Amino acid sequence: MGRGSLPVLAAGPPLQLQRSWTIAMLRVERLTKIFENSTDQIAGGIREAEFELAPGTFFTMLGPSGCGKTTTLRCIAGLETPDAGVISVDGRALFDGERKLNVPVEQRAVGMVFQSYAIWPHMTVAENVAFPLTVMKHRRYSKAEIGAAVAKALAVVDLDGFEERPAPRLSGGQQQRVALARAIVHEPRLLLLDEPLSNLDAQLRDEMRSELKRLQSKIGITTVYVTHDQSEALALSDQIAVIDHGRIRQLGTPEDIYFRPANPFVARFVGATNLLAGRLVGAANGRGDVEVLGRHTIKCLVPSVIADPASVSVSIRPESIRLVPRAGAASPSGDNRIPGKIAGVTFLGATRRVDVASDGVTLQVTAAADHPLPADGEVDLLFAPERTVALPGKVS
Amino acid sequence: MTTSADVARIETGAAIAAATRRTSWLTAWQTAILSAALIVILLALVIPPFVFLVQGSFTIAGPTPSSWTWGLGNFETVLKGRHIVTTTINSVVFAAASAALALLVGWVTAWIVERTNTPLKPLAYLTAIISLGTPYILYVTAWLLFFGKAGPVNHFYRTLTGNTDVLINIYSMAGMVLVEGFLWSPLAFLLVSATLRNSNPELEEAARVHGAGVWQTIRRVTMRLSLPSIMALAMLVFIRAVEAFEVPALVGLPGRISVLTTDIYTNMVARAPPDIGGSSALSVLMLLLVFVLLYVYGRLSRHAERFATITGKGFRPRPFDLGRLRYVAAGILVFNFILLLLVPMLMLVWVSLLPFFQPVSAAALKLISLNNYRTVLDSGQLELMLNTLMVAVATATVAVSLTFVAGWLAVRRAPGGWIVDRLATIPLVFPGLILGIAVMQLFLAVPIPIYGTLGILVWAFVINYLPYGMRYSSSGMLQIHRELEEAAAICGATPLTRLRRIVAPLLAPALLAGWLFIFLMSARALSLPILLSGPRSQMMAVAMFDLWGNGQGTELAALGLMWSMLMTAIAMVFYFVARRSASGALGRA
Repeated sequence: MGRGSLPVLAAGPPLQLQRSWTIAMLRVERLTKIFENSTDQIAGGIREAEFELAPGTFFTMLGPSGCGKTTTLRCIAGLETPDAGVISVDGRALFDGERKLNVPVEQRAVGMVFQSYAIWPHMTVAENVAFPLTVMKHRRYSKAEIGAAVAKALAVVDLDGFEERPAPRLSGGQQQRVALARAIVHEPRLLLLDEPLSNLDAQLRDEMRSELKRLQSKIGITTVYVTHDQSEALALSDQIAVIDHGRIRQLGTPEDIYFRPANPFVARFVGATNLLAGRLVGAANGRGDVEVLGRHTIKCLVPSVIADPASVSVSIRPESIRLVPRAGAASPSGDNRIPGKIAGVTFLGATRRVDVASDGVTLQVTAAADHPLPADGEVDLLFAPERTVALPGKVS
Repeated sequence: MTTSADVARIETGAAIAAATRRTSWLTAWQTAILSAALIVILLALVIPPFVFLVQGSFTIAGPTPSSWTWGLGNFETVLKGRHIVTTTINSVVFAAASAALALLVGWVTAWIVERTNTPLKPLAYLTAIISLGTPYILYVTAWLLFFGKAGPVNHFYRTLTGNTDVLINIYSMAGMVLVEGFLWSPLAFLLVSATLRNSNPELEEAARVHGAGVWQTIRRVTMRLSLPSIMALAMLVFIRAVEAFEVPALVGLPGRISVLTTDIYTNMVARAPPDIGGSSALSVLMLLLVFVLLYVYGRLSRHAERFATITGKGFRPRPFDLGRLRYVAAGILVFNFILLLLVPMLMLVWVSLLPFFQPVSAAALKLISLNNYRTVLDSGQLELMLNTLMVAVATATVAVSLTFVAGWLAVRRAPGGWIVDRLATIPLVFPGLILGIAVMQLFLAVPIPIYGTLGILVWAFVINYLPYGMRYSSSGMLQIHRELEEAAAICGATPLTRLRRIVAPLLAPALLAGWLFIFLMSARALSLPILLSGPRSQMMAVAMFDLWGNGQGTELAALGLMWSMLMTAIAMVFYFVARRSASGALGRA
């Protein structure tokens, strides 16, 4: 399913696990790790996380800071001991709360890139990258083997010839590449990335993002990626888990997450959106009618089960709305139409952000920079039902 | 549906899991074993001195060991004695006044050096570094010679006025405060300048930008910000002055002004047999006092750390332009340098060249010779230097090795790490003299034949300097990003491999700084070895103390000068290592 194609609806539970017939590369079941914070009664951590990754998947855990995504990653790595649950890699259990099994971190044989890169400043690039091979217990590598493996890993990250460079004399982007080389040199089955791009400046971040994607598909390694940046998650991932307050709020492909958010949190966290409180008047076959702003009934998708019809939010992306003159051009068949008045315009370069007030609610609309706007500001908002999603729960 | 391939896979999975469980047991417990071992070692070091001191304080000595009994008699004697009140008041007055003096001098010089455009700043560092290497006893004797009855100050006063009395009576409370304050001011300078360096200069700049003048900024921002840490420092110097021994012994005793430490000391040496019970009882009371003071200090310094904003950007703030006043400030630095370094050193050089002490005069010039140096080198003093160096090297090595692991366990919150931390910090409550008495009783009771050897000194010194080693090691550890170790763990390194290949190299500068600090401190300490040194295990500072007591001031000067030259060279190395390690640990010692 391409990014641009219209989504075909598949009804199902909101947290759909991707079950594959092969043994999953990574399986996480009912993973729970709770940090009781004594100062303010907020308990951080992760609760009941479940997912399964097919070999080669690029999986992203996305969420605001403190949501539990890094905790989950550190549990998989073995840097934290979960309270309960099961973690297994390639059929081998690394942690099992009930069987009291906990493989120590140094025996899990995974690769990891840390947020700070954690390049050891007292070693050269080659010594940093060779480290995993020199501490292996079950196999001794010869000098030649290590040299070859290091050269290969450095070639993968385009750092050929940097072997003898002392680690402190590396730029941020180079440190990141070294960290990546170190994480793959021992050919682990799982690569863990903890916000690896967050310490880079904007331009380098874009560059490394595409680099990372290219690398991952080249090596084909199963990757778990943690970020709070939704654009990174959408660009890189095969699968995304959106996490909030220690719970996985939605699990799915980037398209699922973006076009068919399961709840108002996901809709708002991934991409900008307008959320309107409403009341579900009727639903069938994944489609339905919602009454919003007290008097307009709009058609929309209803991808998830809505328990309380009186408590519904409707999500409309700013770029899904078109502005037309009031009662001007006839609407294309079936599009929703709401009247409004322009309250403000912000020039953003390629686009303009137009704030439109409608019945006391302000909606954001993304319009082309050269899109004509009526002088009196009286407009109609047009948006397709396929781009309008009804979600359970009121706007908070 | 289960195929045979699936079964096979599950079986291998189970086999791997079982194998892992067996090997993982060892690695997972490596840290725990290390932690347990360290707890045992620290318990063995730290607890027995307490036990034997308390036991000693409750033991009533009789004519024969079999007639010894238990009781509160020692405490009764101590508390009923009339001068316990005077002694305690003396201790407190002496400590408070000298702490105030040291901090005043230290803060003014530190502020001038760290925050203004005054010329001649290196003079302040020179003074501080040389004072780090010089035994206190040498300084004290130098000032005693300078301000003493026949010293140049009073001599000059008498020639000028024709009077026969003295201008300054150094053997008084005021004299004690003056000398102790001078002794501490270089260290106070280093400590204050570390806190000034750690404070965020942007806070001062913000005040300047918003219209405050230099003095307003100092008064309303700099002073207010550094107040908590200055209070903590004042408390620290106060505690150290309560525990001080050199000045009370050399200045107070001749002037008949007794403080707690000298009371304990005279109970031990001025009576035959030594009144161990009385000394122990007084020591226990003093430990309680120090414990309370340290508790207050802990509260104060925790408060102080709220304001310590280390930016980590490593940029120096734009110094205040003092205008013409900067020559006045430079004058203060020069005066400081002359008074704290030049005067005592020149005094010692002068005395070391004379056959017997004489005021500075043309007549005395004729007597000048290098005889004292020759005597010192010919007599057994070289062995003395060797002893001292051996004890200092052994102490620093053992203490740093222990605290290296202890700091790692504590900062990384390993199982039992907090116990290790507490145990290694406990010896802070021991003044050197009291630890000496405690260790002495320990090895008199325990049948290990190290009493009277260098071994007992090393044992006691290690206990004494564990907290300092801990400061260096843990503040160094705090600067090593956790992820550097986690990355090694992910790569497959066991805890011991991590400690060896990642932590040790990264911590090396902090450990080296700690090693040199402990080396210097133990090489010049007097109060701890004074009761533990035997004839075969003399230490430099103790020998100097004896020389002074025997009236061999001229030989003392010659010996002391040579010794402090050596120590100054080492202190220099220490200073540069400490600065480079940038751990700021000096500021927390």
